[in-house]
Amino acid sequence: MNTQKVISGFFFILAMTINFGFVYGDPANIQYHSAYELFAAIVINLIATILKLGDKTQLGSVLLATSLVADIQLIASASVWALAVYVLGGMNLESTVAVISLAGGALLANIVSVTLFIGDTLKSKR
Amino acid sequence: MESNNTIWIIIRRMRIPFLVIIVTFSVSILGLTLIPGMDDQGHPYRMSFFDAFYFVSYMASTIGFGEAPYTFTYPQRLWVSFCIYLTVIGWFYGIGSIVALVQDKRLAREIDIARFRKKIHELSEPFTIILGYNNITHQIIDWLNREGIRVVVVDRDAEKIDALDLESFIPEVPALAADVTHPNTLKMAGIHKKNCQAVVALFEDDMKNTKIALLCKLLNKRVKLVIKSTTKTQSEHLKNLGVRYIEDPFLFISNRIYLALVAPNLWLLEMWIFGHILKVRHREELPHGKYIICGYGRMGHALERALKKAGMPYNYIDLKSAEYKEEKGSAVFGDAEDYKILLEAGVKEAVAIIAATKDDLINLTILATAKKLNKEIYTIGRENTLDDLSIFRSARIDRVYILERILAEFTYLFIARPLAYRFVRLLHTRDEAWGRALVESMHETLGENPLHFEITVDEEHAYALARELKKGREITLGSLRRSRADRSKTLPLMFLLCKWDEQRRELLPGDDLLIEPGVQLLIAATEESKTDFEYIVNNYYELDYVLDGKG
Repeated sequence: MNTQKVISGFFFILAMTINFGFVYGDPANIQYHSAYELFAAIVINLIATILKLGDKTQLGSVLLATSLVADIQLIASASVWALAVYVLGGMNLESTVAVISLAGGALLANIVSVTLFIGDTLKSKR
Repeated sequence: MESNNTIWIIIRRMRIPFLVIIVTFSVSILGLTLIPGMDDQGHPYRMSFFDAFYFVSYMASTIGFGEAPYTFTYPQRLWVSFCIYLTVIGWFYGIGSIVALVQDKRLAREIDIARFRKKIHELSEPFTIILGYNNITHQIIDWLNREGIRVVVVDRDAEKIDALDLESFIPEVPALAADVTHPNTLKMAGIHKKNCQAVVALFEDDMKNTKIALLCKLLNKRVKLVIKSTTKTQSEHLKNLGVRYIEDPFLFISNRIYLALVAPNLWLLEMWIFGHILKVRHREELPHGKYIICGYGRMGHALERALKKAGMPYNYIDLKSAEYKEEKGSAVFGDAEDYKILLEAGVKEAVAIIAATKDDLINLTILATAKKLNKEIYTIGRENTLDDLSIFRSARIDRVYILERILAEFTYLFIARPLAYRFVRLLHTRDEAWGRALVESMHETLGENPLHFEITVDEEHAYALARELKKGREITLGSLRRSRADRSKTLPLMFLLCKWDEQRRELLPGDDLLIEPGVQLLIAATEESKTDFEYIVNNYYELDYVLDGKG
């Protein structure tokens, strides 16, 4: 067993699952989506990104790219939320859908990342 | 990916600080959003993520705008006082890591390498790679720079590279501290590049030189190699590798002494190519008679060969500098025992004495002692390093051979003046009568201090001439030797060597030789006639006038 692999695998998969947890539910109703979950998704995704840094292989570069995509989408999602509440004066349907769909995009990137990670693990025969 | 190692080092080193900052920030933010607060009207409220993120961001970076959006309650303050220590420590740790990174030696080295690579990449002129920076190569760099040939230097020792940086050569000399026997280093220095002309390796260690020669041959077949070798077997080995130019300083000296004894005019021509005036000073004439060689190492053997070939009687004293110093505890030659050794070797009857040990001080004292015993004796000294010329100069030694200088001169000639180098090589195949005739005719036309230069007949160096030749006009060498002031007079100029390619070349080409485009010429001239000649071959009006009297 490789501790390094356990830790990074843990964060990669947690990033995906938490992201899923936030996106899951009626995309038009913000009450089905918790701000705490979005916060957790951002933090875990950032940690996953840091863990992917410094791997010079081809796969490492692609993994890093997917993580960066997820980060940007999630931060954009949180920014839209803050903008809607504090600047535009409350959530409406448009901003709610934007927040959820941005996070949904991040989920897709996370799924790609986890798929690649598992694929690589299966490929190595040890 | 090799080139952005710098970024990778930064990323790897910053991983933990980034993680620490993310974790401390998120813990603080989460805590703030969970703890209930109170707004200015006394209603309970909870901080939103945005408020918390905003507050933590300026708290952690110690900017501290105060409590926002409302004054904190005590439970909030309790949490914040914990967070202050948590995040500020995390933040400072991150900043500290960046500062440490800036001072990191490995990073600095990677940055050096990246800069060096960039400089090599941008080099568009022909350049020479010199391995090892020392007195010899310093001299070579000086000379090559003067000729407009760019130089790249690699040395294992970082201090030497720093010293080179302080020299501030113009044009700039890219330099790198790296292991010269490593193929990667040679690749970095640009051995693969089309404009890399030559690699110079003049290390003390013959094995190291051979290894470098082998590597260079494998990496780039085309590149010229200047490799030092001090033994015959090593030289043969190098020849088998296909190294075109092998420098054996002892062989050079041996050849020179032989030439000076047997054919002083050829010797004079060779020395003239290296910058001597075209006249033998009285002090420089080697006497004929019995020679004494002190020191019987590599140089001693080379001298023996030269003297034997020249048919001079000689005697040698087997003196090893290291052993001598150990035995006597001093590097000064000349106690009673040493007198006896010299007398036994026949110093009274000898006409010349050669001090050829590895130690400069011993060489000096040998010659001084010999002078005491025989006032008339001709003294020849070996000077090993270029460091201190003044002592040898003031010791009034008749002839000094400086190994390092000879190496530098030959390397320079080979790289920068290939025709002059070829001329020197061809000299050794001629006899004294030929040499005397040439020196006399040079004296007649050019005086005692002519200079020599090389020119390639192409549009870059001889614009008008190359254009005329392209049109199909037939021009002979002799027709160019006319004064541009009055074409009935000849220009004081002598063509020494004409080279078409490696196989075809002519020593002292005749006046009726037809010039072909691309041909290279070695010319002896005076300061004035050199300028005139350059005018003639580059300027249409001058050329037309010289060729047919028009204009």
